[in-house]
Amino acid sequence: MTQEIPDDPAEPQFVISRTFKAPRDLVFKAWTEPQYISRWWGPKGFTAPVVEVDFRVGGKFLFCMRSPAGNDYWNKGEYREIIVPERIVSVMHFSDAQGNFKTPADYGMAADFPLEMLDVVTFEIMDADKTLLTLRRNHTLSQARHYGEDEGWAESLERFARAVEQ
Amino acid sequence: MHLNQRQAATSSLCGPTILVSALTFLSNIYNYMVVNKINLTLTALADPTRRAILDRLALGPASVNELARPFKLTQQAVSKHLDYLHRAQLINKRRDGRQQFCTLNPQPFRDVIGWAEQCCRAWEESFERLDVVLEDMKRKDKKK
Repeated sequence: MTQEIPDDPAEPQFVISRTFKAPRDLVFKAWTEPQYISRWWGPKGFTAPVVEVDFRVGGKFLFCMRSPAGNDYWNKGEYREIIVPERIVSVMHFSDAQGNFKTPADYGMAADFPLEMLDVVTFEIMDADKTLLTLRRNHTLSQARHYGEDEGWAESLERFARAVEQ
Repeated sequence: MHLNQRQAATSSLCGPTILVSALTFLSNIYNYMVVNKINLTLTALADPTRRAILDRLALGPASVNELARPFKLTQQAVSKHLDYLHRAQLINKRRDGRQQFCTLNPQPFRDVIGWAEQCCRAWEESFERLDVVLEDMKRKDKKK
């Protein structure tokens, strides 16, 4: 039987974490200040020609990511919660260069792509020179049911990955 | 036949790789391009009975009777699960006389694994760049 999984903010749809070899204050700074953001935002080969940040609750940000081929992808967002240097909650959507809302379809994406994403980023001290950063992403629209996933399938996948690779 | 369809679908994805890698970073767009194909896989995997059936088939082919045995289910109910798995292309069916045999088709798992890896890769690249920025910041901090 197929069950519908309700959207539950406690269970993010995308989680990634990474330990950085730097004190927490530094990681937080690199994550939030434009002069640093522009140096790491985007995948390999990309540049971030525009990074505007108004870092306070209710403050807006505007990022531009430029692909090696010269295509620009704009994102506009707003900070919803800030606990220095522990936690940031923000929302983000696609935009044009002026920050006007764009739909994912405007960027050539599937029509059912979420219009807005909710990100929760946490910074945890592992030791004096080690910080664990975790990004939890939720789509604010009901996208979860497209996945029909539950906690069991990841384990199942692991077992099968082993079986498949034999 | 299923395999050919799937291969055709996969190769049509290779073109916009650069675009995909850009948008993944922002929004895991790759999910959405591939997700149409893997939706069915994940939905099929969301059910514990179907996963148990796949676990059994990972050991080798089995008849419908054999697959039904460990579960307190009617053969009809098991057949429904098998239909679901077949539609998701996770299993192949083969008739041998009066018996129907099922085998595992691993390709959809590879697609899901590929998708999961792609999801993380763009962030990993970004995090590697952040590593460099942090090293730089640490050096400058020490000079002060």
